[in-house]
Amino acid sequence: MTRTTGLWLIVGMAGFCLLPWYAVDSGFWSFLWLNNLRAEENAPGAILLLLFDRMWLSPTLGALIVSAAANVMIANSVIRARTLVGTAAAGLLLTALQGLIIVRDGPVLLPGLLSSVAGTEGQTGFGAGAAVSVLALLFVLTTSISALGKGRGDAFVIGLIGLIVTLVGVFVFFPVAHILVRAFELSDGSYALSGFLPRFLASDIWGLGCLIGRGYCGPAVNSVFLAVMTGAGTTLLGLAFALIFTRTQFKAKPLLRILTVLPIITPPFVIGLALILLFGRTGVATEIFANLFGVEKTRWLYGFGGIYLAQLLSFTPIAFLVLIGVVEGVSPSMEEASQTLDADRWQTFRYVSLPLMRPGLANAFLLGFIESLADFGNPLVLGGNFNVLSTEIYFAIVGAVADPAKAAILAIALLTLTLGAFLIQRRWVGTGSYATVTGKADSGRHAALNRTVRFACYATALPWAAFTAIVYSMIVFGSFVKLWGYDHSFTLDHYLRAFAIDFSRGIRWSGVAWDSYFTTLTIASIAAPLTALVGLSTAYLLVRQKFAGKNIFEFSTMLSFAIPGTVIGVSYVMAFNFPPIELTGTSIILIIVFVFRNMPVGVRGGIAAMSQLDRSLDEASITLGANSFTTVRRVIAPLLGPALMAALTYSFVRAITSVSAVIFLVSAKHNMATSFIVGRVENGEFGLAIAYSAVLIVTMLTAILLLQLAIGKRRLRRADRVEQIA
Amino acid sequence: MKKISLISAIAFAAAFSAGQAFADDLNVVCSNEQDWCDLMVNAFEGETGIDVSMVRKSTGETLAQIRAEAGNPKIDVWWGGTGDPHLIAAAENLTQPSGADTSELLGWSINMAEISGGKTVGIHAGALGIAYNADVLAEKGLQPPVCWKDLTDPSYSGEIQVANPNSSGTAYTELATFVQLFGEDEAFRLLAEIGRNVNQYTKSGSAPSKAAARGETTISIGFMHDMVKLAKAGFPLKIVSPCEGTGYEVGGVSVISGARNVDAAKKWVQFVLSAKAQSRGPEVGTYNVPSNSNATVPPESPDLASIKLIDYDFATYGASETRARLLSRWDEQVKPVGR
Amino acid sequence: MSNSIPGSVRFDGVVKKFGAVTALKKLSLAIEPGQLVTLLGPSGCGKTTTLRLIAGLETASEGSIFIGGEDVTRLSATYRKVSMVFQSYALFPHMTVLENVAYGLTVKSVPKKEAQERAEEGLSLVGLSDFGGRIPSELSGGQQQRVAVARAIVLEPEVLLLDEPLSNLDAKLRRHVREEIRQIQQTLGLTAVYVTHDQEEAMAVSDRIIVMRNAEIAQEGSPHDLYERPNSSFIADFIGDANLIDCEVLSLNGSATRIEVVSKCIELPIQPGQTGAAKMVLRPHQIRLSRDKSQGEFEGNITYAAYLGNQIHYSLDGELGQLFAISDATLDPLSVGENVSINFDPQKLRLVAN
Repeated sequence: MTRTTGLWLIVGMAGFCLLPWYAVDSGFWSFLWLNNLRAEENAPGAILLLLFDRMWLSPTLGALIVSAAANVMIANSVIRARTLVGTAAAGLLLTALQGLIIVRDGPVLLPGLLSSVAGTEGQTGFGAGAAVSVLALLFVLTTSISALGKGRGDAFVIGLIGLIVTLVGVFVFFPVAHILVRAFELSDGSYALSGFLPRFLASDIWGLGCLIGRGYCGPAVNSVFLAVMTGAGTTLLGLAFALIFTRTQFKAKPLLRILTVLPIITPPFVIGLALILLFGRTGVATEIFANLFGVEKTRWLYGFGGIYLAQLLSFTPIAFLVLIGVVEGVSPSMEEASQTLDADRWQTFRYVSLPLMRPGLANAFLLGFIESLADFGNPLVLGGNFNVLSTEIYFAIVGAVADPAKAAILAIALLTLTLGAFLIQRRWVGTGSYATVTGKADSGRHAALNRTVRFACYATALPWAAFTAIVYSMIVFGSFVKLWGYDHSFTLDHYLRAFAIDFSRGIRWSGVAWDSYFTTLTIASIAAPLTALVGLSTAYLLVRQKFAGKNIFEFSTMLSFAIPGTVIGVSYVMAFNFPPIELTGTSIILIIVFVFRNMPVGVRGGIAAMSQLDRSLDEASITLGANSFTTVRRVIAPLLGPALMAALTYSFVRAITSVSAVIFLVSAKHNMATSFIVGRVENGEFGLAIAYSAVLIVTMLTAILLLQLAIGKRRLRRADRVEQIA
Repeated sequence: MKKISLISAIAFAAAFSAGQAFADDLNVVCSNEQDWCDLMVNAFEGETGIDVSMVRKSTGETLAQIRAEAGNPKIDVWWGGTGDPHLIAAAENLTQPSGADTSELLGWSINMAEISGGKTVGIHAGALGIAYNADVLAEKGLQPPVCWKDLTDPSYSGEIQVANPNSSGTAYTELATFVQLFGEDEAFRLLAEIGRNVNQYTKSGSAPSKAAARGETTISIGFMHDMVKLAKAGFPLKIVSPCEGTGYEVGGVSVISGARNVDAAKKWVQFVLSAKAQSRGPEVGTYNVPSNSNATVPPESPDLASIKLIDYDFATYGASETRARLLSRWDEQVKPVGR
Repeated sequence: MSNSIPGSVRFDGVVKKFGAVTALKKLSLAIEPGQLVTLLGPSGCGKTTTLRLIAGLETASEGSIFIGGEDVTRLSATYRKVSMVFQSYALFPHMTVLENVAYGLTVKSVPKKEAQERAEEGLSLVGLSDFGGRIPSELSGGQQQRVAVARAIVLEPEVLLLDEPLSNLDAKLRRHVREEIRQIQQTLGLTAVYVTHDQEEAMAVSDRIIVMRNAEIAQEGSPHDLYERPNSSFIADFIGDANLIDCEVLSLNGSATRIEVVSKCIELPIQPGQTGAAKMVLRPHQIRLSRDKSQGEFEGNITYAAYLGNQIHYSLDGELGQLFAISDATLDPLSVGENVSINFDPQKLRLVAN
């Protein structure tokens, strides 16, 4: 008998017999269902089976019972493990099948087979009981697989793989499949492969008209061009900032730090609006240039230039967050080794430090590239006639002529691009070793940059920082004036409307923004640690464990990030509006969409940071008797400080600032700040929108500072010092 | 890490507890302006005692969501937004007849209910118009446009902004208006000629007027009530009612098929059609023309009586075949001449 | 400290494959409790894989592994009663020295106080009692190495594994630390498996040496056995320096073996083997060099001489090919270019198969 398996079986039984099988309307934690456990909607699986004739729940119970019997009765460990794999897998499969087949209005497939009274009435979505039973079976399955010696016999690792594969399957593949299948839909509603290729390869997607000087380029071509430029630009800027932070004695680092964080905590549209007020045809900067130099006022901002500028502003911090951990992690002794080999600072940087940062650079580029492809807010505001895939997809879904098939085809084009970038990145990073935190402690100092590189960094980063500062002062300014751009008299009206508190009868949150503000903060605070946890766990599996199908697994974790939010939003509504997983209208669906949409950032950051941790650290911990879980908890996680910080920060912030996926998922009860702000922008109430954004920015800054204090800095060397330049 | 596991554990618990799903409130999606939505929700709750959960979403987004949720809708009633998507939803049986009393309503509103078989009813109307930024126009030394045909004047080159009818209902209304005013061939000839002056076909219908308000473009085409709002806010925007006459849109209200709170939804429809409710628009800066003949019309509203309105044929131009034909012709003949 | 029970280690036809590469070919071996056994061999011979299989960091593709008589083939590393000292030390950089040493105890839920006491005991065993509060980067390489050893032994493992533990140390320190390791192992009576590619280190610390080559065992035995009775030219060359000289075995009779080297016949004590081509193992210190030509049967010319204080290393070129010789006659060094006679005692010669 295996103890872990036994425990999970007990948990599963308890779930099946004691917890309500279906989702309860009043919410699980209200415990109102306890009052009437025998009511059909509150009943556990066991009661449903006995009293309500729900035959199709028997495989779940059967799998649990047979597994328990096998666990107790079979002595040979290999045979026992094999049997358990079989029973648990069968139980999972049948439970999922009954959920998919019998939905609200009765069986959708094979109606004749399930024609009992209850069967034709259908059933509602899975609840706590079903979730616990399914999880228990899943862990019985993975524990048994590990007992067969797979994954070095490590139950934790196999369990983690099983869990993440299941989660990604259910919350990424399942919904996305709903919409991608529409790409094969013909105009009469039937499905066929034949229509897909011609539409996919059509010139209105891939056209190169702009290159030969005739007409427009296809949105795919525009997207690729923009994404490559953005990926390269943000990586370069991010590297310059990271180098300034770790390798120079620059005085105003804290100030710079805030400037590098600001753009990611800015709600969408705000940067675009600020840029219009600066560089639009009647913008401040445009006016100044026109008066000083007689430059003609043009609309250059609307098109590639404007989007590129806005994307650089928005995404440089992501590159910076990925790169700072990597640049910090490059072992000083390797740089010192290089210097003792008579390399000068430039050569050290060029031939030692830079190549060691390669995984970081590649990951930063990939993130910039994908972010740019999926970016929706900036092209919408500044796009002009420069069409990109993300906005085309949005309007294919919500435009005057809704065409889900076209949206799906464009989404596939976008995915193809992402997959391509991902594969190229993999090739470039290759299989080299980039471990620099080796467990052989290291007390050296980081090599300072040579003069040229240092000045190049300053010359790149500082004007950029100044530019960011200007953009943000514009935003603050905008929130305190009556009519941004026209009437610049000071007012607090916007803040009062949004965030007034009425003290006349106790405290009443009378401002219009409070509701969505509280919802947003709650959901973001729940989603952020979950995202970091799932993301870093995935990174751990990818870097540290070997298992079949790892490459596909890695790509699939990138999927939800690469698909534009609009597509994700609609696909979530399609997939999770019906049993077995019925989540629309709840806040859970918002949390889940954030977790799985933002986890790739945790994954990328985690991979970059973890490939710098020597494997012998884990192995040392394991041979010292720690299990994988303890190893992760006590050795790896503390050494991942910056990556953890980045993942937490980023997922928190993204949950607050993302808009496109959320628009379809917000409901009356759970409205999000961005959706509120977008409504105000659409309505032309810029003052209110910007005041709200400013409050969000301040909130997020505070949260990030608190996080930083809480997590602290990893202490690897006597001091993270930079050598003094004499 | 201990902290993180603890936080995650709490987060998990919180995530489940947050799963409180659907109370028996009336679920309203509002495609009007936020303040107008809030005001009506409060008023409705005060009058009927029914709790309302309201979220504001744009017309296109709402239609996409209703389609995705078809069969198990979470929304009870959809209020506001241009009429076309309401008519489409009606045609796709995504909405159901509300049985509302239309006796006090104006003709164009009843017309809407008749076309849709009672599934959607007109709540307000807004006419198409031209707006220009007076400051920029003066700076450039241009003459203000008076008629649609004036927009073909080469001196406006690069100064006009209008939405793309493929993505914007506003722009489609403009396209259909031109066809009804000038006949199809002449309409496309005119549109192509105006196209030479267009600096950008925006995705959203209200974007051109906002750009004009800020001087990012000089002239815009859009709905007049949007323009009134911007002018009221203080922008130097002047509104022109074209001399040839103009088309208009009718905003709708519909009850969703399979709604969980049908009775409350029907009450909502009746409420927003009442003269009392419709008269309150100006309180929150809503300047379109109400559909109830007894409602007071705000003085700032573009006075439909003084505007030469065409007899807009919603049945023909709302039909998807007409739509597809006009749009593909637009893609072929108008879009390529833009810059 | 010394209440650990040393365990035996046994491999039964263990095969390890990494994809298409076979890292171990059907390996069988047995390690007695309380012994220090070294896995010696050139890089890529499979010695580290063997060690990692004992640790449980790799899973055998075929065959069984026993520790202390228990089948652990499928048991994960966490639950095996072995500890490992890594080449890179793998000290946790974010923990103090004391926390590092106490780590294994705390993850096994030993009470905090006891864990700390035992960790301090361990540190004092390696002579680092005063360093518990530092973080690893504040220690020298040798000190870090000893922390790694202390961390492994406080767990009182059945088997202590050491993966090239000295390779990051300088030569002098290396000798010092290896003596310390040997001493601790003997004091505590630990079973230890030691991986190295340095034969001198292996000779110095081991009870027994298992020499590996090309994913299998080439020869195993005590240091003395391997040095004196190599079974192949590979072993002869790998264990201690050896000049391998081609020869022809002419006959093997009851008491003597006759061989022919460069057309000269030499008689040796009887050895295992067969007639035909073979190699003669001539250890450098067995070679006697003399200016007097009549002293030796072979001749050579000094091409290089290195004076090391207590001895002199010579390279020669001559009838027997390239030779390496060590001479204690430091008072009368031979100089480069001199022609010398080469002499050795046939009684101490060994033959190995070609």
